[in-house]
Amino acid sequence: MSNDIESRLKAALRPVAPCTQFSEKLVAKVCADRTAQIPPRRLAAAGRPLAWWLSASVAASVILGTGVHQHLQQQRLQQSGLEARREVLEALRMTSQKLNLAYEAVKSQATPPADEQSGA
Amino acid sequence: MNDEVFDVLDEQLALARSGERSALAALVHAHQRSVYSLALRMLGTRDLAEDLTQEVFMQLSGNLATIESNRHLGFWLRQVTSNRAIDQLRRRAKVQMTSLDDEAPLFSDEAQPDHLLQRHLRALLSELSAPARAVLLLRFQEDLDPIEIAATLSMPLNTVKSHLKRSLDTMRIKTAALQAVRCEDNSP
Repeated sequence: MSNDIESRLKAALRPVAPCTQFSEKLVAKVCADRTAQIPPRRLAAAGRPLAWWLSASVAASVILGTGVHQHLQQQRLQQSGLEARREVLEALRMTSQKLNLAYEAVKSQATPPADEQSGA
Repeated sequence: MNDEVFDVLDEQLALARSGERSALAALVHAHQRSVYSLALRMLGTRDLAEDLTQEVFMQLSGNLATIESNRHLGFWLRQVTSNRAIDQLRRRAKVQMTSLDDEAPLFSDEAQPDHLLQRHLRALLSELSAPARAVLLLRFQEDLDPIEIAATLSMPLNTVKSHLKRSLDTMRIKTAALQAVRCEDNSP
């Protein structure tokens, strides 16, 4: 009797399929829901390399810009240093010339002519 | 489902997880019958069963990453369906069963030619408490053994066994009584 009721229940409780209309609607809805969940992730995943490239290029541009700026500044300093050195050398050369002239003048005045010395 | 089918569905599961629409559709097709039948026989009406089936599969769509295999998927679906149905039944004071003639049959007609007994079993099933009904359905519809039922419903094994025994005893007595009445009616 126990087996009888069990076998009757087993036979009676065979799974039943939902109606086709509901089944189709269900599949469409679940798939749409799943698709709606996936794009943001895919979009984020797709956007990640782009964002990485953007950040990398901005960083590279900043580093390159700073390097070029520093290089130019250094060149300008070096240039102005060379210019200053050249001016100092020019000044020294001119001073030296003036001193030489002055020395010549003083020397020529300090030394009397030879006939004046012998006539006295 | 045999092992070959399980292997195919395991592949479909992997594809569905990666966003393959047709693979997810195949999984829904493969399991909807079980989920819908469980919901229908727990809740008693087609509308409620369809709502629950949809809720369960929508929940699955969000939890697909946590499903490891097709066997796990079957377990997960039965667990979520049973628990949600039990919760619904507990929330309602009484399940409103619609007229037997208006609704789709809860039992398959081809398997059960005795319509009176069919109605009788249906009525007996609906009289059971929600957990007892879930235990009976998982045992005789889903063909799970008591250990699997205990795991699905997160219920102690002894509770499952006692639900099964009590429900079957009740059904046996009431079915015997019905058959006795029918014999009396048929006698000249």
